[in-house]
Amino acid sequence: MADLMIEATDVGKAFGAQKALDGVSVAVPRGTVLGLLGHNGAGKTTLVNVLTTMFPPDSGHAEVAGFDVVAQAHQVRSRIGLTGQFAAVDEQLSGLDNLVLIARLLGASPHEARTRGNELLELFGLADAAKRPSRTYSGGMRRRLDLAASLVGHPEVIFLDEPTTGLDPASRLGLWEIVEGLVTDGTTVLLTTQYLDEADRLADSITVLAQGKVVAAGTSAELKAQVGQRTVTVTLADVSDVPKATEALARAGMQPVPAQNTLTAPVTSSREIAKVVRALDEVGLEATELALGEPTLDDVYLTLARHAA
Amino acid sequence: MTTLTTAPRWRGTDFGTQVLVLTQRSLRALVNDPRMIVFSVLQPLIMLTLFSQIFAGIASTPGFPPGVAYVDFLMPAILVNTAMQSALQAGVGLVTDMKNGVLARFRSLPIRPGSVLVARSLSDLVRTATQLVLMLVFAVVVFGYSPAGGVAGTVAALALALAVGWGLGWIFLAIAAWLRNAELMQTVGFLAMFPLMFASSAYVPISGLPGWLQAVANVNPLTFAVDAARSLALAQPVTGVVGALVTSAVLAVAGWLVAVRGFKRPL
Repeated sequence: MADLMIEATDVGKAFGAQKALDGVSVAVPRGTVLGLLGHNGAGKTTLVNVLTTMFPPDSGHAEVAGFDVVAQAHQVRSRIGLTGQFAAVDEQLSGLDNLVLIARLLGASPHEARTRGNELLELFGLADAAKRPSRTYSGGMRRRLDLAASLVGHPEVIFLDEPTTGLDPASRLGLWEIVEGLVTDGTTVLLTTQYLDEADRLADSITVLAQGKVVAAGTSAELKAQVGQRTVTVTLADVSDVPKATEALARAGMQPVPAQNTLTAPVTSSREIAKVVRALDEVGLEATELALGEPTLDDVYLTLARHAA
Repeated sequence: MTTLTTAPRWRGTDFGTQVLVLTQRSLRALVNDPRMIVFSVLQPLIMLTLFSQIFAGIASTPGFPPGVAYVDFLMPAILVNTAMQSALQAGVGLVTDMKNGVLARFRSLPIRPGSVLVARSLSDLVRTATQLVLMLVFAVVVFGYSPAGGVAGTVAALALALAVGWGLGWIFLAIAAWLRNAELMQTVGFLAMFPLMFASSAYVPISGLPGWLQAVANVNPLTFAVDAARSLALAQPVTGVVGALVTSAVLAVAGWLVAVRGFKRPL
């Protein structure tokens, strides 16, 4: 257990009558990324706030870097970095001064603070804007400065709360690469996101939250398998052909679900598309469109929420 | 990526350094954008200019201290007024930090919440002192302000105004920590302070006010603050200085206790 950098056990938190977290448990080993997946209001930010000592849980227990988030909040704070949903930068200060401020508050000398600040600005491609007030930065630059600010103290655990929401695709990719670099260096990351592809790319394991509860946990592959895999959707030119096609696919061992002029059937691999084509060919039908659908976060939700209910 | 190699482990710093660094931060924002100081001095300057001209005749009315120029009478009140307006800004600054996420960042760092409040209060004190000195220079150069108390009396009056503003600043920090709304604070602050300033001894001697207003002015705490500052500047028998200082200290302690409690609530 020594190498679990984040460990939450049965954490509960309510705001009035609203249960934001209802018995949530997560465990993140050192040097790995946990993707916390969920829609708005699922409880992701509340969990991040509990783990980053912003407020204590009502029930349950949580440790970060081996320290209790309630009783040893100070020790936790000196080992974590936090990047919230909104770039938390002091607009009056330059990019460099923002980073120097954090480093000084962490205990760096003025010289060390400047060195660290410049190092991070370089790393995040902000060196040219180092002396400019951060209020003149673009949205993407602010996000990068915010992320840099959370890394000033060489944190062992980093919390990224929807770090790419509102970023353009290039900035998004750049941020992913930075996170991957940190993990290579041994940093532990908890990432909240609404995007399955983001969790897919970065996370070693994924926990899905819905209405304050963990509805699924596992690797991306495990989760998709649990959700009921991918689907193939066949579109037919003539609605009257649908029953015939449904029969043909059923004979081929699939479970097609008709809807208007389309048929949707779960598949385990893309190779099964050939099976679909052959089955249709045998009854003299041709699909006007064949589409392979990846499970989306919505599928995860629909499937898992149904299981949970 | 070399963000973790050669990593020095910074584990936090002492309260004094926290306060120092955070105070410097607020003051640096002021240096970076001096418009804030300029605009905050502008309003009291306009008041000083208008009142010293419009009400100059009051100096020859009965009830006015004999042999005192109106500008010498007015200036201590302007100092107190400016310090009070400035106190409101301490609260506004705190709310701004809450809204733009800077405080959330501070909270994720190993620092004491109180250091943020103390730094706010200290940087506000420096800002107010700068404002008051600018005002005084203007009053001396343009309006020939030269009270009987001389430099010593003026500095004492300035110090008293600062103390009053500082104590009141803690009240606004407390309100800010709970209310967390800059616009509302500014409106409420203005609505509360504007009538208080006029229903006091600030601009005319109390004996020149209508009866009902005299009743208000006689119990208005501002009257005591203004009278104390004025007695210092005009080298009159000192009245109410201890009372003003004690009141400020009480306000500061009460404000501190309430502010820290409010500040610790989740953002």
